[in-house]
Amino acid sequence: MKTLDQASGLFWLSVSIAVFIESLRLGIGKVQNPGMGFMTLGASGILGILSLALFIRASVSREEGKARPLFSGRLWKRVLLVLFVLSVYSIVMPMLGYLLSTFILMTILFWVLERKRIWLVFMASFLSTLISYFVFSKWLNCQFPDGLFGL
Amino acid sequence: MACSVFKAMGFFDNILYGFQVTFQPVNFLFCGIGVLVGTLVGVLPGIGPAGAMALLLPATFKFSPTSTLILLAGIYYGVQYGGSTTSILVNIPGEASSVITCLDGYQMARQGRAGPALGIAAWGSFIAGTIANLGLMFVAVPLAYAALSLGPPEYFSLMCMGLVIVTYLAQRSVLKAIMMALVGIILGSIGLDLITGLPRFTFGINELTDGVGIIPLVMGLFGISEILENLEESLERDVFKAPIKNLWPSLKDWAQAKWAIVRGSIIGFLLGILPGGGAVISPFVSYAVEKKISKNPEKFGKGAIEGVASPESANNAAAGASLIPLLSLGIPPNPIMAIFFSALIIHGIQPGPLLIKQHPDLFWGLVASLYLGNALLIVLNLPLIGIWVKVLKIPYKILFPLILLFCLIGAYSMNNVNFDLYVMIFFGVLGWGMRKFGYEGAPLILAYVLGPMLENALRQSLLISQGSFWIFMTRPISAVALGFAIFLLLSNLFPFFRKRRREYGEFKE
Repeated sequence: MKTLDQASGLFWLSVSIAVFIESLRLGIGKVQNPGMGFMTLGASGILGILSLALFIRASVSREEGKARPLFSGRLWKRVLLVLFVLSVYSIVMPMLGYLLSTFILMTILFWVLERKRIWLVFMASFLSTLISYFVFSKWLNCQFPDGLFGL
Repeated sequence: MACSVFKAMGFFDNILYGFQVTFQPVNFLFCGIGVLVGTLVGVLPGIGPAGAMALLLPATFKFSPTSTLILLAGIYYGVQYGGSTTSILVNIPGEASSVITCLDGYQMARQGRAGPALGIAAWGSFIAGTIANLGLMFVAVPLAYAALSLGPPEYFSLMCMGLVIVTYLAQRSVLKAIMMALVGIILGSIGLDLITGLPRFTFGINELTDGVGIIPLVMGLFGISEILENLEESLERDVFKAPIKNLWPSLKDWAQAKWAIVRGSIIGFLLGILPGGGAVISPFVSYAVEKKISKNPEKFGKGAIEGVASPESANNAAAGASLIPLLSLGIPPNPIMAIFFSALIIHGIQPGPLLIKQHPDLFWGLVASLYLGNALLIVLNLPLIGIWVKVLKIPYKILFPLILLFCLIGAYSMNNVNFDLYVMIFFGVLGWGMRKFGYEGAPLILAYVLGPMLENALRQSLLISQGSFWIFMTRPISAVALGFAIFLLLSNLFPFFRKRRREYGEFKE
């Protein structure tokens, strides 16, 4: 936990510094008439102090022996694959359209945990895409992009 | 005296009016869908009540705000019920509010008493939900009238108190919870400034001028991050296999559980009103109280029916009671209520003391729907327990792509822009990291919603006082609320309170 707290403390400290500087640029106004950056300056200032406190507390603690690795031994590659696929989907969905892009997405997502029966993967992807399209687009009037191929 | 008060307030007329609203076909349907979806969400891992509400919210845009709130409320207390099913049958709580039910519920199931455990959980939830509804009707209206006299300093202090209580009750580190609340305030400030109308922290991105959307934020922090965490593990659930019979508890069961249900309902209701209390903490407190006053405390953890009845009553009572601060003061006391708050804003309704007066159909319709929903939960769920057991057996390899798809659709359909998908994925990764590094999402969400109101109240207060911060201490309500918040913050420094917090944490573990 020690290393994790040190790392996260530093991360939030850097976030707080960035927000603090931007708040100053936005203008904090006067106490009688606070400006746009007043509240965020205060919030980021306290966040910075607390992040520093977390970092220092973690640094002086003796819990080193209890530290557990963040990723090793876990199926984190699956997570990275899913994240990558989701990111690509977000970009290409307006171009390819909902039906086509969602079918591809669902095929990959089902395939991640079920690699033996490919026909089942295709069938589940096809059905989930089609049903979600009819429920959300036709029934609930959500507006999905048609994309290049009009799908 | 009481009758004359009721007459003056048009109390019974209002209740009848509420039932007229609730029994309109669309509202009736939404109530039914809400409790069904809520139970489903409670049974399934990976999406949670906040995610489910965020998912269905865009679909309600063409319906009235009353229908929307009835749907969301149905999901909320349906989840409390569904969570108990997994706790009893699988020993895995569907939701955080059902964690404690595992202790005795699963033991009862192993002893061949899954039926009575499920039955008493359902009836306890029903009775507690009804008691909470009565409390809601009696407390919310007078509180809303009283709140009309509150000004910006009181609102600022009350919101500060709410945020501090949420961080104080954090399951992990208080320091990290406060940090998350501050991050939430910063996130809430993204977009146009309320007073000057100028953009801030938008980095030139047009989509950010309206701020970060609550739906992609909630979907990311709660939905996507949980899926990513689950994907790292191999999730195999061992569902209780013996047939479930005798769902109606015996007279002996009732005799043992009746006072536990009453006490759980009262504790849940009182804690539910408090900011941060909600449905999560009250089951722990009620279980601890029940064990403390029991003549046979050694039975707890080994299949005591009181150990199921009390927490299940408490979480449902708290779910109903947490509507009080939202509907009477306009202050959401927990992240779920923050979504209710956002739903009202999206539908053009400003939550606050005037809500009950200006939108009686919404308030009384919602109150009546709580009665209806509780009854529906009993009618639908006990006979359908076999279906929920089958749902429990759906493998995660089928569930997780579907939950991800629902999250994507929910985030996209809010504004029909794929920028919201980027936002959701970003917060999904952030939420995943937060889980790994021991941070909680609840204070962040609540602060994100309260942040703009908090800032507005602070700036207005300072304008009124011409820059003097003493305005928060010279007004009695503000001084008490702020004083309590400061006391809670400082209490973390005292060994006695730190020891109590540690014990509470160990109890939850």
